Amino acid sequence: MCAAQSRKRDPIVGTSMPTLEAADKVTGATLYVGDLVVPGMAHAKVLRSPLPHARVVSIDAAEARALPGVVCVLTRDEVAAAGIEPVYGFVYRDAPLVALDKVRYQGDIVAVVVADDLATAEAALELIEVDYDELEPVMDVDAALADGAPLVHDTFSPIAPELRPVEGTNVCHRASIAWGDVEAGFREADRIYEDTFSAPPVQHCALDLHACVAAIEDGAITVWTNCQSPFPLQRELQRIFKMDARVIVPYVGGGFGSKSRDRLECVVTAAAQLAGRPVRLVLTQEETFLTFIRPAYRGTIKTGVKDDGTIVARHVRFTVDVGAYAISGARSANNTLKVATGPYRIPNALVECDAVYTNKPPSAPYRGLPTTQHTMAYETQLDRIARDLGIDPVELRMRNLVVDGDVHITGDLLRSTHAKECLEAAAAGIDWGKPSERPDKPAKLRGKGVSCTIKYTLTPPTRLSENGAEIELREDGLFEVRIGTVNIGQGSDTTMAQIAADGLGVGLDRIRVVHSDTALVPVDSSTTASRSTYHMGNAVLDAAAKLTADVLAVASQLLERDAASLALGPDGVEADDGESISYEELVRRSGGPLTALGECVVGGTYTAPDGTEYPIASTFWSFASAAAEVEVDTDTGEVRVLRMGAASNVGKAVNPDSVRTQLEGGVGMELGPTLFEQLVWDEGGQLLTAALMDYPLPTMETSPLYRPEIIEHPLEGGPFGAKGMGEIGSVITPAAVLNAVYDATGVMFHEVPLLPHKVLAALEGRK
Amino acid sequence: MRPAKTMKIELKVNGKRERREVPPSRTLLELVREDLGLTGTKAYCHSGICGACTVLLDGAAVSSCSLLAAQADGAEVTTIEGLAADGALHPIQQAFIDHFGFQCGYCTPGMVLLTKALLDEVPEPTREDIVRYMGGNICRCTGYAGILASVEAAAKALSTKD
Ligand code: FES
Ligand code: FES
Repeated sequence: MCAAQSRKRDPIVGTSMPTLEAADKVTGATLYVGDLVVPGMAHAKVLRSPLPHARVVSIDAAEARALPGVVCVLTRDEVAAAGIEPVYGFVYRDAPLVALDKVRYQGDIVAVVVADDLATAEAALELIEVDYDELEPVMDVDAALADGAPLVHDTFSPIAPELRPVEGTNVCHRASIAWGDVEAGFREADRIYEDTFSAPPVQHCALDLHACVAAIEDGAITVWTNCQSPFPLQRELQRIFKMDARVIVPYVGGGFGSKSRDRLECVVTAAAQLAGRPVRLVLTQEETFLTFIRPAYRGTIKTGVKDDGTIVARHVRFTVDVGAYAISGARSANNTLKVATGPYRIPNALVECDAVYTNKPPSAPYRGLPTTQHTMAYETQLDRIARDLGIDPVELRMRNLVVDGDVHITGDLLRSTHAKECLEAAAAGIDWGKPSERPDKPAKLRGKGVSCTIKYTLTPPTRLSENGAEIELREDGLFEVRIGTVNIGQGSDTTMAQIAADGLGVGLDRIRVVHSDTALVPVDSSTTASRSTYHMGNAVLDAAAKLTADVLAVASQLLERDAASLALGPDGVEADDGESISYEELVRRSGGPLTALGECVVGGTYTAPDGTEYPIASTFWSFASAAAEVEVDTDTGEVRVLRMGAASNVGKAVNPDSVRTQLEGGVGMELGPTLFEQLVWDEGGQLLTAALMDYPLPTMETSPLYRPEIIEHPLEGGPFGAKGMGEIGSVITPAAVLNAVYDATGVMFHEVPLLPHKVLAALEGRK
Repeated sequence: MRPAKTMKIELKVNGKRERREVPPSRTLLELVREDLGLTGTKAYCHSGICGACTVLLDGAAVSSCSLLAAQADGAEVTTIEGLAADGALHPIQQAFIDHFGFQCGYCTPGMVLLTKALLDEVPEPTREDIVRYMGGNICRCTGYAGILASVEAAAKALSTKD
């Protein structure tokens, strides 16, 4: 680490500070994609399928095209005539730009109208006639897995090598991982428990609606979008249109996974090509519910324990409803295989999953993929086990939680765990062990619950750098840090500026950040899976070290001093003897800006102490705990979360208040799906909870308003010891609430949300 | 397709007099964002629920997506762009920065203006007042604790100021 070069200066990493863009955000100056105006742009509206599954017989858009103000209408015919690739998806290539032979969910894109203004585009939608031949839909996993079920796709087109579809079925990916001998483990067990847990789909409800603007000029595409994966999208655009492409992602108003993959950009580019002018599409809130959703989940978990509570075997089988297109959902399901057994020492494990096509909207990760649902399954079961064995739930966890040096079910050696400390801190947040205060009426019951989790980050199968970062010392004496990370609200510009400042040994006032523009920054795989702080942070640090060496070498010549006697100072390079040269002058005299490219190499294999080679399943593992105190009104069935505690080992908090806010936000958000959010379709495949009117979200009134704990045990290899933590808050929440309800009422719920009528029905059953 | 008829309206936006001819169906949100180019006002639900589009209409917080521009005829409208006087941040804005009252910032213009309306109405609000009042706007990032802290700090800053 080159920070050693810097002198007598307090570290910036580890200091809480408002984000660099904070003033622009409170004054309304920050521009999001929906705020951008590109000269000459036209406006697009999407015609969506009213049916969940149908053959598209014919599309007649003549009348729409004739409407004054309509620029063009894009259907499968125009896509064919343009000679572009009609199907996209860089993980699974199964999503058509617009419907080709079939529509596969209510809301599937059939046509795009481009007009001079939005009102005209909307009016034109009404004039398009589509003739459908209805097919039987499969609306859930059971229907999709039934013998002779209608097939959502006739063929499979996985791109990522780990994806394995099952021919002739709706299973677009089937996988398993095994560790030890699960059958032998169950034979060793004193008791065996089996539970099935399910959770319905929800939507991310990021307030910044999916939007994009596409323009084609001089044979090159420019797309402005709020997608979290600008570089993979760039490659998709180049493949589909056989043209150069530039993707620009300005500030994004939250995504939570709903923008992790592109969904609109290719079709809007096709519309712009047909229109011959830039085109903007901004979805409505209702349309975002038809764009990406969190998948329906069901998991069956079987656990064998000794009488003292030691877990000896665990078998998890789960299904994920990926919806109509597997562009995102199939790989997400696969990734969570490795965390389905929890943060526990488990000598014998088997985890199996089916990712299944249905006629629902496509699924995407939701702040922690199905890790949240896995955690609900194994953590609620653990409380049942605790009660059965007469062991305190915290104590039972303490007996089984992993510690540094343990080996996970993937073979990975665990480091920087401190899962027990997280649990203790979270439990302390609700005064675990002390009885709850008495509620104000006898019909109300109070209880407490905890939960623990383990989370991975996206990790390549071979050793490579998936992202770079560039730092350039420029004529104006500023260090420009160029990163692919999308600033989606997590404050990544600031985190990276802090890391760069300490890496270089200069003040924050010397740093300028340029983000997520494929023409200006080095390649980055994506801003997902809590990966940025670690990966981009390391790349920034690497670039800082290289640039420092280059700057000192130049300064050494200019000042005629030994490089070892020089260091980067606040305003220029300083020598031991007091000589110095300003950054501006250094750049001027060296003949131009100095640039260094940093990288972060991850993946590959690791050799276990016994000599076995394992592929590294996750570059780092994250650990967190939550604790909840709830009040259940047995008259109304209403569940209120009174208090929450949460803690995560983040390695090192680069910007502690920012980390705390993110952890807190994850918990707060997930209370919605825990208590009241769910998407519901009728039997005919129509989404009933289509608008916010029918889909309540957490507000300040329903939130517990607490502050989580940050635990810092530096991770070797992390930038200043930091790990990522963008998602872990949500992962730990539902299980803690369900366990608290169990503690209060004696009823264990095996599904969310905890709607009052369901709670009442379950309490009736108890009597 | 569009109604040919337009209406003349006159209103003050951030202290500036605006005379416009708008179709009767034009919302206040559209007037502010598209006609006046004040994109600090955001939108999500377009149905009066989320509060992202909050502006002040004669000092009261309203959802601009659910009001017609014509309903603002003769009124005084304040958007987020109008809050900071001559470039200096308003104490409410400063409080949101200091107390991590946001992450992505998309709900922030609405939250800041809602806070302004609250504190104009109730200069020394209790925690319950704040929770009830601010419960009208949705934030997806923060979990609301930072927003609560920001509003409390802003109330304090404003009350010590005068
Ligand atoms: S956009 Fe106006 S209230 Fe949601
Ligand atoms: S800060 Fe992102 S919605 Fe509130």
